[in-house]
Amino acid sequence: MAAFETLLVERRGPVGWLVFDRPDAGNAMNALMMRELEGAWQELDADPAVRVIVNTGNGGAFQTGVDVAQMSRDLGALREQSRRTRDFELRFTGWHNAVTKPVIAAVNGVCAGGGLHFVADADVVIAAADATFLDPHVSVGQASVYETIALAKKSAMEPVLRMAFLGRAERMTAQRAHAIGIVSDVIDPPDQLRAAAQELAEQIARRPAEELAAIKRALWNELERTP
Amino acid sequence: MTYPELDTLKLERRGPVGWLINNRPEQLNAMSAHMRDEFETAWRALDADPDVRVIVHTGEGRAFQTGVDVNEIASDGVGMQRYRESVEKFDFHFTAWHNDVWKPVITAVNGICAGGGFHWIADSDIVIAASDAQFFDPHTSIGQVVSIEAIGLMKRMPVEAVMRMAFVGRYERMPAQRAYELGMISEVVDPPERLRAAAQELAEKIARNSPAAMAATKRALWGALEMGLTDACKAGAAELVGMWGHPDQEEGPRAFAEKREPQWQPLAGKPKS
Repeated sequence: MAAFETLLVERRGPVGWLVFDRPDAGNAMNALMMRELEGAWQELDADPAVRVIVNTGNGGAFQTGVDVAQMSRDLGALREQSRRTRDFELRFTGWHNAVTKPVIAAVNGVCAGGGLHFVADADVVIAAADATFLDPHVSVGQASVYETIALAKKSAMEPVLRMAFLGRAERMTAQRAHAIGIVSDVIDPPDQLRAAAQELAEQIARRPAEELAAIKRALWNELERTP
Repeated sequence: MTYPELDTLKLERRGPVGWLINNRPEQLNAMSAHMRDEFETAWRALDADPDVRVIVHTGEGRAFQTGVDVNEIASDGVGMQRYRESVEKFDFHFTAWHNDVWKPVITAVNGICAGGGFHWIADSDIVIAASDAQFFDPHTSIGQVVSIEAIGLMKRMPVEAVMRMAFVGRYERMPAQRAYELGMISEVVDPPERLRAAAQELAEKIARNSPAAMAATKRALWGALEMGLTDACKAGAAELVGMWGHPDQEEGPRAFAEKREPQWQPLAGKPKS
């Protein structure tokens, strides 16, 4: 497997792990991580030994979105990212990369702003009991679009609107995210999160790969229907 | 800005928060033909006021809203026919959504919300309720069809609960707590008397965020109800890019770095034509 600087990519049995690995930066995406994410998803999706993918983070945060400070020092990367944002050619998540295998997001801590991409675009989401969710975009003068659109399509809309408009003023707890169906399992104690994710992934991996891919395709296609 | 004097609604501003208060408490805030017209005036007035960053909608008395004024319909000889043309054309002006209000709207449900009252739940952004608030839809119990409000609700919450209310009619009420569990509302305020204070606090938190960014976000998210996921994201991208170059995008990070409150550009919707 290729070596990555900002991610850890590994295989445990039938489960491929994609782990954000910039713990000192809240796992925020710098230019390198954005490039590496595309390669990592494609590598795991292409690996026949991987049946299910788990996405989590190292350290106290799951994902906190674009590393604005780093990007502002790398104008070429900023320009390219702006173009991709404008043209909807992002390659951060499994969905962006047309991954065909089931993706489990295992939210290990704070998930903020652009981090919500990885929750919205996963198939199954579980969270550590101390994980929190917030969307600070409007608090810094940014619109909140892709992440909240997908979240609102997949769950009750009101809590998503509340998160989008409250910005950094409020955090949704893992328990509330569980109650309204954004996540399907809350892991307590939090340090059991990875074990729980591995176990869940192994259960899913028992199903034939073609069947899983067909189910995923059918259900995500439903989200494309014009109501 | 001075607001128009209205007979059936109260309008006021408290700090950055515009309040729209249903004011027919004796009729449980049921909507007469006159109130229906005044709603448009009210939404437009609050939307056009640049000092209003967030709108809160609530009711006087023990009901939030109970739909069309059935007594008026039954007694004045015109009945529902008066609404035929607007229903056929889907040309309404009594909710924020009907009036293209792109400021955040909080509905604070202060008691009974019945039947047509769901229009303002379905068409607002954030909904909170007093702990003794109750929700039910009596349309089918009085021989009426429920459609528009329930369709709006179904798009934003689990469908089963909406169908149950539609079919059970007046014979069951959903408590605020259940509405919270379902994600129909995001906060239950107890004791109920604290509802307006809680709504004001919530609105003031929201008012600290960029008005332009919130309007773009609202257009993207409400637009997404009309489209499939990829198309909605592409339309959302236009809203995102539309913010580039806006002064708030410079001001937000600068204020954050300088540890001060941002000075956002004011935003005003279109006045009533």
